[in-house]
Amino acid sequence: MQCKKILMAAALVMLGASCSNIERSRNLSDPLITARTLAEQVCSNCHGIDGNSVSPTYPRLAGQQAAYIVSQLTNFRGHQRSDPAGSEYMWGLSRFLTDEQINGLAEYYSKQTPRRADVRKIDPALLATGKEIFEKGVPEQNVIACMPCHGPRAEGIGAFPRLAYQHADYIVKQLTVFQDNVGRPGTPMEFVAHPLTGSEKNSIAAYLQSFPE
Amino acid sequence: MSIYRSCLTAIIAAATILGAIATRDARALPVFARQTGQNCVACHAGGQFPELTPYGRLFKMTGYTIGSRTLPFSVMGVASYGSVADTSKSDSPGTDFQKNGTPLFATGSLFVAGKVTDNIGAFTQFTYNNYDSQGADGKFHGHSGADNMDIRYADHFVMPDNDLIFGVSANNNPSVSDPWNTAAAWMQYVPVPNPTSYQFIDGKAPFPGYGAGSNIAGLSTYLFWNKTIYAELGTYRTANQLLSFMSAGLSDPATTKLDGYNNPYWRLAISHDWGAHNLMVGASGMTAHVYDLGSDTNDPNNLGSFRNTGVDAQYQYLLSPHTITAQLAYMRQVNNYSVNTVAGATAPTTFTLADGVTPVAAANPSDTMNTFRAKISYIYNAKYGGSLAFFNLTGTTNTLNQTSGYDPAGCGGAICNASSVRVNGNLSGNPATRGFTYEAFWMPVQYVRVGLQYTAYSKFNGASDNYDGFGRNASDNNSLFFYVWGAY
Repeated sequence: MQCKKILMAAALVMLGASCSNIERSRNLSDPLITARTLAEQVCSNCHGIDGNSVSPTYPRLAGQQAAYIVSQLTNFRGHQRSDPAGSEYMWGLSRFLTDEQINGLAEYYSKQTPRRADVRKIDPALLATGKEIFEKGVPEQNVIACMPCHGPRAEGIGAFPRLAYQHADYIVKQLTVFQDNVGRPGTPMEFVAHPLTGSEKNSIAAYLQSFPE
Repeated sequence: MSIYRSCLTAIIAAATILGAIATRDARALPVFARQTGQNCVACHAGGQFPELTPYGRLFKMTGYTIGSRTLPFSVMGVASYGSVADTSKSDSPGTDFQKNGTPLFATGSLFVAGKVTDNIGAFTQFTYNNYDSQGADGKFHGHSGADNMDIRYADHFVMPDNDLIFGVSANNNPSVSDPWNTAAAWMQYVPVPNPTSYQFIDGKAPFPGYGAGSNIAGLSTYLFWNKTIYAELGTYRTANQLLSFMSAGLSDPATTKLDGYNNPYWRLAISHDWGAHNLMVGASGMTAHVYDLGSDTNDPNNLGSFRNTGVDAQYQYLLSPHTITAQLAYMRQVNNYSVNTVAGATAPTTFTLADGVTPVAAANPSDTMNTFRAKISYIYNAKYGGSLAFFNLTGTTNTLNQTSGYDPAGCGGAICNASSVRVNGNLSGNPATRGFTYEAFWMPVQYVRVGLQYTAYSKFNGASDNYDGFGRNASDNNSLFFYVWGAY
């Protein structure tokens, strides 16, 4: 009987204490929750606490351009971006975010330090091809170089995303999304990526994932 | 129609209508998908509910609290078709193989689940079994009751060099709180229809499990440190009095009666994610003191115990469009029988060995069972999948479990005894059962799965041939199981 009372009391204390836990809340529809709390309690589950995600299902966000993060979260929230993975994972999570929270998340992740993933030894020929495409494009296929828009260190420029250290599998998947023109309108990438072959996509992705230090 | 059935039917209907209204702009349907707005595939590996992805495990460990509070109801239903290879070697095929080869609506569940506060969430399931029992007139009667329940408090502390999830779970089934799907409560997940023609489908074949079973009341506390070490410790008691909702639908005598609070459960696991891969290796155990008869808890001679110790491992590769899962689980169970059970084991003493002279051994005061399961599955594009599973149960031979044998006094040396049970009988007194299950499934939409399973036995109740003493072979139990399983 004594034990029952203690358990009931403990349950009531926990219930009372937990009604509002704004510093560690996972509530996605409360405008009072800070972007940092959302990053720690929700986003970090997939993207990593420092934005260096482990799984290539989820893009690395560390050091990403803030303007790019804002545009993507806004497009998820408004359903303008509707590629399958984007809509399956991100429409719901972003649906109630305020502009302030989106700006805060962009700032949080843009300030994280990108880490180069531990990648197994990659075929030097693949890297060389990737480097060539990154810097010079494939003129005979009308593929323009990546560097002018994404920066000499692939660090991104404003609305053009950072690509360095991004998961190769994620880059290949997004290039395919652009080629198939499914759900990522409003970027020049569908024209840029369209002529790329499968092996060229793999080369550029491998080069960007293991971008030289 | 029982009051349970009427209530549940009304609640499911109301929840379906309300759910439809509330989810018009939602991408995914059952309650957790409404809460996060995400598709099933975010939390379930390849969309294959209920197997969890790493994110799904974190969603569970943080108390089902990610997202926004929403209408906390979902419904689930299973329609099925089952067929057993041989229905002729039976005294009563109509009883031994009810509804064989007949499509039926098997079972439905109502879930009350989701985020309650920033730290509290729940997953509670009530299940209606359309074929719970059969009356003297041959008609089946439905029945509803508590199914899995897991009510949690959880907090997540993020520090510069440490990440700690801490939680408490009140639940009614040991390991239902576990985030990995090699846990006893989760490795078998396709709902099993009740008619006896389904008694040999994969869901009824050996799975590692805890002897105490479900519909008991437990409280466990757990932590997950740096997404690497998971530890959980809890204890269970009888689900009666204030906690009787955890065994709702069961009469008091039918409720599992545990002795006090000294029924501990523990779990340790190491998890590692790299690239698209993740691996868990773990161990778990439970000691439960269980009364043989729920109606008599005053007699200490009525008290037996189960001691379970298990190891398990799960590997997943998750990168669209591919999902690969490999699972291994092994559980050892030592069952110490109550004094009354051993004393009452008189029937086998009438049997002899095959020579018709040598008496069979006396009943053992305890038995040990070792259950092993391995499964590998592949899913393409969260739509088409298949799996292959192997199961192997071994254990001690005990005349206590022997239901048929040689009885020279009764039948002149032939196998016969009034207590013999054809189909379910056991001539050897050994539980050994082994086989494979092959499965193919299709998910036309994310909340519906259509599956076809074939389970093939090479051993059943201790033998490959004539396991029941009346000529039934293990392969006669091979079973086909077709199901349509949907949730909303």
